[in-house]
Amino acid sequence: MSAPGTASTVRFALQRLRRGWTSGELRVLVLALAIAAAAAIAVGLFTDRVRRALEAGAGEQLGADAVINGRDPLPESTLVALRVTGVRLVAVTSFPSVVARVDGEDTQLATIKGVEAGYPLRGALLLAREPFGTTETAPPQPAAGEVWVDLRLWTTLGLQQGAQLQVGNRALTVSRLIVEEPGRTAGFGDLAPSLLINADELPATGLIGPGSRLQISLQLGGTPAALAAAAAVTLPPGYRYVTPENARPEIRNSMDRARSFLNIAVLATLLLAAAAVALSARQYSQRLRDEVALLKVLGARRAFIRRSLLLQVLLLGLVAGGLGALVGVGGQAVLAAVAAPVMKIALPPPGWLPLPAVLGLVLLMLAGFALPPVLASVDSAPVRVFQRAADRQRRRPWGVLAAVAAVAALLWLQAGSLKLAAVVFGGTLLTAGVLALFAWLLVRGLAGVRARGGVEWRFGLGNIARRKAAAVAQIVALGIALMALLLVTVVRHDLLASWQNKLPPETPNQFLIGILPEQVAPLQAFFAAHGRPALTPQPMVRARLTALRGAEVSADSFEDPETRRWINREFNLSWTAAFGDDSRFLEGQPWGAEARGKPWLIVDDYAVERLKLKLGDTLTLDLAGTPITLEVHAVRKIKWDSFKPNFFLVTPPGVLDAEGLSAPLQWIASFYLPREQRALLRELIREFPNVTALDLDAALNQVRGIVDRIVGALEFIFLFTLLAGVVVMMAVIEGSRADRVRETGVLRALGASRRVIRRGLIAEYAVLGGLAGAVAAFAAQALAWGLAVGVLELPYGPRPLLWLAGTLAGALIVTAAGYLSLRRVLDTPPRTVLAGGAA
Amino acid sequence: MSADASGVGTTVIVAERLTQKIVSGGEQIAILDDLSLSIRAGETVAIVGASGSGKTTLLSLLAGLDSPTSGSIMLAGQPLSSLDEDGRAALRAGRVGFVFQSFQLLAGLTALENVMLPAELAGRADAESLARDTLAKVGLGTRTGHYPYQLSGGEQQRVAIARAFAAQPDILFADEPTGNLDAATGARIIDLLFQLNRERGATLVLVTHDMALAARCDRVLRLNAGRIE
Repeated sequence: MSAPGTASTVRFALQRLRRGWTSGELRVLVLALAIAAAAAIAVGLFTDRVRRALEAGAGEQLGADAVINGRDPLPESTLVALRVTGVRLVAVTSFPSVVARVDGEDTQLATIKGVEAGYPLRGALLLAREPFGTTETAPPQPAAGEVWVDLRLWTTLGLQQGAQLQVGNRALTVSRLIVEEPGRTAGFGDLAPSLLINADELPATGLIGPGSRLQISLQLGGTPAALAAAAAVTLPPGYRYVTPENARPEIRNSMDRARSFLNIAVLATLLLAAAAVALSARQYSQRLRDEVALLKVLGARRAFIRRSLLLQVLLLGLVAGGLGALVGVGGQAVLAAVAAPVMKIALPPPGWLPLPAVLGLVLLMLAGFALPPVLASVDSAPVRVFQRAADRQRRRPWGVLAAVAAVAALLWLQAGSLKLAAVVFGGTLLTAGVLALFAWLLVRGLAGVRARGGVEWRFGLGNIARRKAAAVAQIVALGIALMALLLVTVVRHDLLASWQNKLPPETPNQFLIGILPEQVAPLQAFFAAHGRPALTPQPMVRARLTALRGAEVSADSFEDPETRRWINREFNLSWTAAFGDDSRFLEGQPWGAEARGKPWLIVDDYAVERLKLKLGDTLTLDLAGTPITLEVHAVRKIKWDSFKPNFFLVTPPGVLDAEGLSAPLQWIASFYLPREQRALLRELIREFPNVTALDLDAALNQVRGIVDRIVGALEFIFLFTLLAGVVVMMAVIEGSRADRVRETGVLRALGASRRVIRRGLIAEYAVLGGLAGAVAAFAAQALAWGLAVGVLELPYGPRPLLWLAGTLAGALIVTAAGYLSLRRVLDTPPRTVLAGGAA
Repeated sequence: MSADASGVGTTVIVAERLTQKIVSGGEQIAILDDLSLSIRAGETVAIVGASGSGKTTLLSLLAGLDSPTSGSIMLAGQPLSSLDEDGRAALRAGRVGFVFQSFQLLAGLTALENVMLPAELAGRADAESLARDTLAKVGLGTRTGHYPYQLSGGEQQRVAIARAFAAQPDILFADEPTGNLDAATGARIIDLLFQLNRERGATLVLVTHDMALAARCDRVLRLNAGRIE
């Protein structure tokens, strides 16, 4: 064995691995690595599929080479300048409105799109005569009097070909079903079903007018040179030139957010798995020391031993990576199935790209957590074969350094952002610290309970007390995983229910927007005539901020992206003489009748935060060409969940509606409509076609559906986290297996039956798991309480049921895992306790 | 049966034509070979012999820790072959005490809890008072709350002896009880073992290499190649 070749190293490594496999540590190590790899692959493959879907069809998905978006039709001069460049132009006018079957009761909020001939400029619009029927390429635009609807509208209203659909004042014939539409704004944010009509039809619907929430998309198509020239045309303020590269921000943003959440779950899984790898590798290395000492006595060189160990670890990594890849590929399919319905994009098949990255991740975990302890066994002294105590183990700092570097690298690679990495690491450390403190106190507290039970109870609890550090480690690892799961499942529902319970009955569930000034009185009369409570519309005026504290401002004057977005839109202002109980004044006082005509402003604290406003500051606003300067008179905090129309900026009466100011004015209102009286909406839109009714119930349900999907994906990844927590526990169990075998032998020699020992084991793990569950439930509650009180402003008290559920779930999971790991220990024959062992 | 029964009392252990074989390297080896013996109540018996002579195997069979390949054993009036693993455990609980070479205290339990264990397993309600009394007898009345790791080797073996006697067993098996102790401590432990045994009137069967210790017993059984010489 003095100079063995590569072949003999490989042979030896394989032999050693085959024998080592029967020991628990290696299996735990492979399991931990496989779980880490599976979670990372599942999320990696899934996000990669979404990314490629976005990139592959970006142009087609935009429906054009470029699009100019705005709220009003482009001025003729700009259109002329664009036409000169040689690009083709097709305008799409879209806005929300409630539509209804002419012969039915049902109504539905839909996005109406009026398209010019030639729509869409890129990609194909595919139609059918019935759901899942033969598809055909669409003619240039719907014929006059016809409407094409999407599948959601078709099914919601129970339409068929030839059905009559009420769109504003017009009854249109449903002629086709839209199967595929390029440029369809899709994603988490797109809630309403949609329909296409001929642009020439729009005026006849009576839906276009002041107050309509128009979205104008001008599609551009042409040669790169023409497009470049078009891109150079200066657009009036409020218009945006969108290219495929910066298109679909809603999916990108949602995906970025979802990826951040999923990455947090993956990171938690990786950290727990790393702990399990480190623990099992350490235990394995302890066992290796005897063997290494013997090999050295027999003449093996360090280099041979080191090579063989390195090879063993790499082989284990390959096995674990392969296993993890298999599970991960299945996992990404689950993620895609859970999330796809709300993404509304066709995902390409999973690619291979993330696989090398995950192999790298497995190698990183091995290098950081497994190799240092395993290679440290190479230092085992030959004298150990005679006397173990003579083999002094030196502590080497590089083992710790490797682990710290690996943790940092894992966080950085998986989080993709230093900030997220720091937050997750800090958060995990803090949570682990708090959980450890609680766990330690609870474990100490067990001493008092121990005396009050039978021998099984005392034996089980004695094991926890003796291995305090191990018990605390297991409780923390499982506690983190259980806490994450409890937070996304039970606590989320709990918070939502608290919020819903907080809403008084008859909270408004319908919004009316775009009410013209002359329609206010008829609308109120309509409500009175139908026996509904009086409607109290609020005025709304749009204005643009031009100066702040006397200095001219634009979006570019602000760093904060949220402020920039806010400034870019027009502000909605209103006036009022009185404030309800949904306003809480933080600074200054509400005004009374004396304020009429005074250029004062009461601002919400959102505006204060965005614009850093103080009392006495002035804002100059442009109201349809007329500047008006207003002074901050007071600051209030609005309770938005009153579901009444409210405004960040309000003036006294007589300011925005002053003589000579021709500000574009519309009114909005909210009211409560019981489900069974929804037919009223249909009548309402017939009489007031330009008024848009927004059904909040439906909108909230849709949002909830989307959130449920995202959370479903998150829950799925947190299951891997829980598995990683269980594997940490198994690693700790493996560390105590030899002691347990011995103790079981003693107990049986002293006359304990198998049942007594089994009960002791169950008592130990039930208590351990119960403590982990209780600690997790407590931590989840504390976080929920912080959220409820600090952010959501909800009353939130202790939830004993959550504690009970957490404790029981923890006890069940841990007892099952502990019992399964140790059931063979029960078979320890009692003769093993005698001096000759089994002899 | 070559051993001559001496003293008075009923027979508490009877082994007849005991054979224990193991298979090693494809070959059958007889560790015990057609061995018979009987031990009376209150007798103290030492089993001695060279390493590999089958001492520990004999002890484990007599105590019902293992089953013989052939032959029969009566322990405290019960034929062990008629009992399953748990039945044998139930017989040991309360009737049989053990002292092991490596103490075999349960690290998770205090000295008191370790000593209570056999009486508790026998279902005795007075387990704690019995344990306290016995611990006081072995001189550890003030160390009841200590864990094994807080005790010296000699103290640990004293706890083990207290545990062996606490449930007031009829029969006590000791396996090299001084094997892990220095000579002086070992001598004190043996004194304690015999003193307690006298007080309780239990039957003592011990396996040892130490001829001086063997000489203190009523009878010495010398094992050689699986047979009693």
